[in-house]
Amino acid sequence: MIEPLVFLWPSFLAAVCLVGIHAYFGIQVLARKVIFVDLALAQIAALGATVAFMLGHPAQSPATYGYSLAFTLLAAVLLAFTRAWGTRVPQEALIGVIYVVAAAAAILLIDRAPQGAEHLKQILTGNILTSGLNDVAIIVPLYAAVGLLHWLLRRRLTGTEPLIWDFVFYASFGVVVTSSVAIAGVLLVFSFLIIPAAIGVMFASSLARQLAIGWIVGTFTSAAGVAASFAFDLPTGAAMVCSFGAALAVAGLLYPVLRGNRQSALCVAIATARWIAAAILAGSAFQLAAAPRADQPLIDIVEYVVPSLRTLYLTRTEETTFVDASEYAERYHREAEQLNDFEKRNRTEGKALDDYSVARISSFLKSYGEMRKGEQFVMGEVRARARERIRWGVSLGLLASALLFAPVSWRQLWARAPR
Amino acid sequence: MALRFALIAACLALASPGYAQDRIQVVTTTTDLRSLTEAVGGERVAAVSLVPANMDAEDYQPKPQDVLRLKNARILVRVGLDYDLWIDRLLAQSGKPDISRGGPGYVDASFAIAVLELRGMSVGPGDGHAHGSGNPHYWLDPKNAEIITGTILEALARIDPANAASYEANRLAFLARLRAKLAEWEAILAPLKGMPIVAYHNSWPYFARRFRLDFVAFIETKPGVPPSPSHLAGILQTMHARGIRIVVREPHEPERDVAFVASKAGASIVTLAASVGALPQAGDYISLFDADVDALRSAAGAR
Repeated sequence: MIEPLVFLWPSFLAAVCLVGIHAYFGIQVLARKVIFVDLALAQIAALGATVAFMLGHPAQSPATYGYSLAFTLLAAVLLAFTRAWGTRVPQEALIGVIYVVAAAAAILLIDRAPQGAEHLKQILTGNILTSGLNDVAIIVPLYAAVGLLHWLLRRRLTGTEPLIWDFVFYASFGVVVTSSVAIAGVLLVFSFLIIPAAIGVMFASSLARQLAIGWIVGTFTSAAGVAASFAFDLPTGAAMVCSFGAALAVAGLLYPVLRGNRQSALCVAIATARWIAAAILAGSAFQLAAAPRADQPLIDIVEYVVPSLRTLYLTRTEETTFVDASEYAERYHREAEQLNDFEKRNRTEGKALDDYSVARISSFLKSYGEMRKGEQFVMGEVRARARERIRWGVSLGLLASALLFAPVSWRQLWARAPR
Repeated sequence: MALRFALIAACLALASPGYAQDRIQVVTTTTDLRSLTEAVGGERVAAVSLVPANMDAEDYQPKPQDVLRLKNARILVRVGLDYDLWIDRLLAQSGKPDISRGGPGYVDASFAIAVLELRGMSVGPGDGHAHGSGNPHYWLDPKNAEIITGTILEALARIDPANAASYEANRLAFLARLRAKLAEWEAILAPLKGMPIVAYHNSWPYFARRFRLDFVAFIETKPGVPPSPSHLAGILQTMHARGIRIVVREPHEPERDVAFVASKAGASIVTLAASVGALPQAGDYISLFDADVDALRSAAGAR
């Protein structure tokens, strides 16, 4: 029995290490206003790896890593100089250009080195789930060394000293990003970098406190993301990015309550919620009135949650047709799956089917698919016609409830109107 | 002035080598179909594949040159079954009704193939394909080459009826060679019958049926979506329970995820080519199977 936990905890450990160094760099990056610098550096490193592939070096060889590192250091020089140039054009714009050009150049080179395509894709998505203790064993000493270097040079790396110190900053950051992106992918590394730092900056002003908050938030959010990916059977990296996004949203909601005027924050929150509800209801009303046969997201969701709601607007015959069609569709699906299973088992078990029988199974499958599509068409048609019939009444109802939700004091408007 | 240009053009036409003019230009979407087209067409056909070897044909990005290649082509051979959907837009751009759907030079190689794993509109759980037209990797059953070459032969005979007999002879010679080879491959893989195997992508149902192999599970459940923890745990559990020792990977698939699964389960990675040219030793249709059969045999023997 293998529990997913057995390989989830190394991923969690890797995430904690990555949060550790990236929360610090994130605070620096936010202070220097170079938010997307990690994307630019990661893309440059990928470009270096692509060049190495093109020259015939295998992936994960020292030569490939050397090319990545050399490209990253060159980019660090370039980035250090963007501060000097960025008098009228914001530095962020130049960083964006570096990112875009590096990405495009890599695509051009891929044409000559097809095996790099997978590498580029991998960098974008990464897969923290398949990171192991060997990855952690490499990054811990590396990040410790970079951390120590930054602590020793803490008076120099403020972003206002001569450009050589900027180069040191970008070069060390490039080394970190090159290794972290290979483990976790660009999306997750960006979340590690910006979100814990942003939350830290939100609630504290000294670097030590910002770091402490970032580390605590990052660790707990990583744990929540890993747990969600385990509980809901989701890809781990994407689940973690979304949990970091949720953490930032929660922090943003908490900020006015903890820091600002609670009363006015509550008022604004309630007004926003009411406006959103009103907008959704009014939009659904117009959608139903204008295009009753199209998708009706609100009605579809409500029907999905409470299927018996359909009986309210379907006649008895329509209801019977709908239920019949859905049962038949389900049956065709089941029978097709049984045939598929039978064919799959037969590949290795028992006497092999001859080609004629396989062709027959194949054509049966095709027919079942068509029949199922037919039943689904019937279901859609029955529902669309019923919705067409009730569209005006329900639209008016939705519109009325939208007006109720909208945070406008109708009494005042009413009183003012006759004058 | 016009006369002078006409003269120059005539001289150029005379100077160019004669056979290049005579050869029928065929464009195929994949290298496998190019190899099969060459087997039928022989010397009379110049076939070129739009997707380079070693690239994933399912998400190929067409280039401007491809439109040019289509403009010069008299026959187009595609895989079909939603595998090379991008060719439809390219054909529309090239504006050649002759090689577009319904034209005499349009060949959908999936014609008359017994398609496996058809699931209608729904995407079955964990089969790794985002389309309902069935599994498109049908060229990996050498027996299907009989049908594919038949379809190609028909198109060649339509376009170039004068040489139909020689195409027919080419095809029969190729099929005779293939049949002899198939018996050989089946004999080599006979000891592997029913041996459970895990693969990264579900490219292998036709291969599995012909050689009676058991592809139990796939690491990739949907194209482009990394596997979830419980999916990986399920695969590892199956691998331990059934003693699976082989994980199959294609050269363009992520090494990291495959290596992770293989090392956790104590299995070895076998790199198989699902297309001609994906491995250097898989230069044409027959050597593709030679390479794959060889790799599987040595992996099974090494245990």
